Amino acid sequence: MAIDPKFIRNFSIIAHIDHGKSTLADQLLLQSGAISQREFREQLLDDMDLERERGITIKARAVAINYLLDGQTYELNLIDTPGHVDFHYEVSRSLAACEGAILLVDSTQGVQAQTVANAYAAIGADLTIVPALNKIDMQASRPEEVKDEIEQTLGLDRHEVLAVSGKTGQGVPELFKAIIDRIPAPAGKVDAPLRALIFDSKFDDYQGVVVYCRVVDGTLRTGQKIRLMAGDTEHEVTGLGRFRPHAVACDELSVGQVGYVIANIKLLSEVRIGDTITTAIRPATDALPGYQEPRQVVYCGLFPATHNQFDDLRTALQKLSLNDASFTFEPETSDALGFGFRCGFLGMLHMEIVQQRLERESNLALVQTAPNVTYEILTRQGEVLHVSNPTRIPEPGDIEEFREPIAKVQFIIPADAIGQLMQLCTDRRGIYLKTEYITPTRVILAYELPLAEMIYDLYDKLKSTTRGYGTMDYDLIGYRAADLVRLDVLVAGDKVDALSVVVHRDQAYRRGLRLVKKLKAEIDKHQFEIAIQAAIGSKIVARETISAMRKNVTAKCYGGDITRKRKLLEKQKEGKKRMKQVGNVEISQDAFLSVLDSSEE
Amino acid sequence: MKGTEQIPERYHSSRGKIQAGQVVSSGTSGSHTPRAAYIHVPFCAHKCGYCDFASLAGSDHLADRYLVALEREMAMRLSEPRPVDTIFIGGGTPTRLDASQLARLLSAVAHWFPLDAGGEWTVEANPGTLDESKVEVLHRGGVNRVSLGAQSFHRPSLKVLERNHDPEDVPKAVDWVRSAFDRWSLDLIFGVPGSTLEHWSNDLEQALALGPDHLSCYGLTFEKGTLLWKQQADGAVHAIDEDVEYAQFAYALDRLASAGLRQYEISNHARPGQECRHNLVYWSNAPYFGVGLGAARFVDRVRAINTRDLMAYLKRVEAGDDPTGPSEQLETDEFARETLMLMLRRTQLGVNRQEFQERTGVSLESVAGESLGRHIQRGNLEDDGQKVWLTRQGIFVADMVLADML
Repeated sequence: MAIDPKFIRNFSIIAHIDHGKSTLADQLLLQSGAISQREFREQLLDDMDLERERGITIKARAVAINYLLDGQTYELNLIDTPGHVDFHYEVSRSLAACEGAILLVDSTQGVQAQTVANAYAAIGADLTIVPALNKIDMQASRPEEVKDEIEQTLGLDRHEVLAVSGKTGQGVPELFKAIIDRIPAPAGKVDAPLRALIFDSKFDDYQGVVVYCRVVDGTLRTGQKIRLMAGDTEHEVTGLGRFRPHAVACDELSVGQVGYVIANIKLLSEVRIGDTITTAIRPATDALPGYQEPRQVVYCGLFPATHNQFDDLRTALQKLSLNDASFTFEPETSDALGFGFRCGFLGMLHMEIVQQRLERESNLALVQTAPNVTYEILTRQGEVLHVSNPTRIPEPGDIEEFREPIAKVQFIIPADAIGQLMQLCTDRRGIYLKTEYITPTRVILAYELPLAEMIYDLYDKLKSTTRGYGTMDYDLIGYRAADLVRLDVLVAGDKVDALSVVVHRDQAYRRGLRLVKKLKAEIDKHQFEIAIQAAIGSKIVARETISAMRKNVTAKCYGGDITRKRKLLEKQKEGKKRMKQVGNVEISQDAFLSVLDSSEE
Repeated sequence: MKGTEQIPERYHSSRGKIQAGQVVSSGTSGSHTPRAAYIHVPFCAHKCGYCDFASLAGSDHLADRYLVALEREMAMRLSEPRPVDTIFIGGGTPTRLDASQLARLLSAVAHWFPLDAGGEWTVEANPGTLDESKVEVLHRGGVNRVSLGAQSFHRPSLKVLERNHDPEDVPKAVDWVRSAFDRWSLDLIFGVPGSTLEHWSNDLEQALALGPDHLSCYGLTFEKGTLLWKQQADGAVHAIDEDVEYAQFAYALDRLASAGLRQYEISNHARPGQECRHNLVYWSNAPYFGVGLGAARFVDRVRAINTRDLMAYLKRVEAGDDPTGPSEQLETDEFARETLMLMLRRTQLGVNRQEFQERTGVSLESVAGESLGRHIQRGNLEDDGQKVWLTRQGIFVADMVLADML
């Protein structure tokens, strides 16, 4: 028998990183009896090592919890959301599968940038917000102040704010009651053609793609022939079920229910987040709203450190894409680096994760080029090009308008860091939007910044400027024309395409000087002199020279130190593995990345 | 433990083949029993700023106790006397011991490490601590080679190095040594902060005027943990310019060669036949015994170093415990890499493919791989089919070449 939708609640927990979302989720499972005390361990929902290390939930999941309140059993579906700025779209799809959200705020830390961003996303998705303070068992908890912040920044009523501790379980029964009382039951038409929203998917070695969905209208059954509306493919449902938190199979999912679908799908790329599942026999006419193609905003080149590992790299990328359909890769040839791939990512964090996973899982030494954004170029011929590789940018004479992506960035920072942060944004061609005081000591600062100025180290700079207290969130708002040029680098007279960067013309000379200086510091001395030049077109704008190595030998009798000496040399050798031979010059991985380093000496 | 009877016959026969003008690699590949012994004496009048060895000043009152411990360590480790071909007593300053202590040390060493006929027995000495009576003790005790730590004849350089002898002490000490020993050597240090090429060439001339058959020229290295390192970190001392150091090194090679002292290892020069055979043992990666504070030994492919803490050394040995500190059993590939690293330092012998294979059990090509060809092409190495050795250009960048080959 299908459960009556009025006893179903679908919700997410939204929070800033490290505000205790996973621990609270585990506590909900524990108190509902879904897991034992023994299974109650931290980060139960985060099942990948990498994510656990970083304290970030990347892959959303859904857990069905049965909870008994006043003699009635409710089915509560907790839909986990990614916590990082790079995964906006995934967050929005997870929220679209819910009617409500617990807004969890660490009562020792207060409202942070992603608290605000996620809360606005939830409010924008028309969700009922259940605000809750976490970690109230801790000494440093300051509930009243944080309630002020919630009231001030989000306009929520302080009297509706609950107080819980994910760790001790304090306040969790009240939270369950609030979920049931405040969050609306799902509304949907049982008799209408099936429409289910795909909000996540993952790849399983044995079962292929596992699709997570929320049924909006109609019923999903095993054996049914289904159709993915945007993907325009058909599949047969071979398995249905829910996580409680371990997978439990069922025959059908009805209106309002959340679960997984297995339909003999081989490739993760066939399933698109935000797509609508309907039936092949009686398809719905309109898909659920809000579907978007995944949008890569940051690109970089990945090359094997040794030439003969191209195929290994391709295999590794293909394998990785089975588990992550949101990054793209296509073969690229660089004069300097040989054969590799141009890869697109949802953001910087995403790029870093993919790269680490590649190295960890495939044991490949990689050389990564400096990350860049996608530029939009209007040519003299009236053509609009999207270029995500600096080497593909047309000659200056062929460009009518050079456009770059712009992001609206929101920082939440201690008030005393305003000056420094404004300077930082001004240096990066930011356009000031507004300042808003949350409390007398904490401020929201909003800017429009070129995405290219953000991707390399803005986050690190924010953290160092604010001694770790600052947080940020961003949203892409479109392309804007700017006076941009491509700055090329010549090493020993040869242009190294992989070192080209796009910069604003006003900054080109300064960047050029800094760049050759950085490269001089990063490239080791060779047995010959090496000229490093920066050029715009054919015009050299900066030059440095690396003098030839004269002497590199320990003239010493190290009788007892043989092992130490060997280990020192082996360490040097290890560092060389990540070197790329360009002409006669060996260039380190750090050198390739140093072109984007904006810090002065 | 392996007895001396396992030493292959051909070792003895090969020893007979040493001829003038030919540097001979020491030890034999098949032999696992060391034929060389190092003995450490840590006492010093003063600890020099650059010194990274187990050495200490102001502990002379412990010298007698140390000698007892040393004898005990030899007895524990060796259980029976081990005939050897080379002995090297280093420090510290072995000649810091007084004449009777020195005599006692030599007789104990001679007991535990009987020197085979034609063997080499070297003792390190400092000009400031040597006198005629000690030279006599050394000679009578069986020593047949003395290595004198002159370091420099330039007063300001001696001051920077914190040596507590004067330039005039060196010729005096050489006179004494020469009167008793046919074989002796001088140590010099180049790259001293504040020094110029002129200072260095003057050092070389003064050294050559004394007529040495063997000269070691070490480039000053700033070792972590030394006073000199700290002075550099604090900005009180500045390393000399790389170009000046290069010029000093290059000048030494040319000048010494023209004086008939051929470079046979990166820092060592000798008239043909006067090479230090004990050090050639290290550079062929053959096994050797080592006793005393902080002494390194290489027996049965285990590298081990005694503790560098004098009190700990004394107490452990006195209690009948092993004073070994860190030790490491070398795997085949580690052993092969060390062998390559060491043999390549021999600028004349180089890495002989057959010797390498016999020593390590693997081929040179399997360790060095394609990097061999690369460095031959770049002019850093030369290869005559049987052996590979550093070219003059390669000598100056030997660490880089090695890092690439390992």
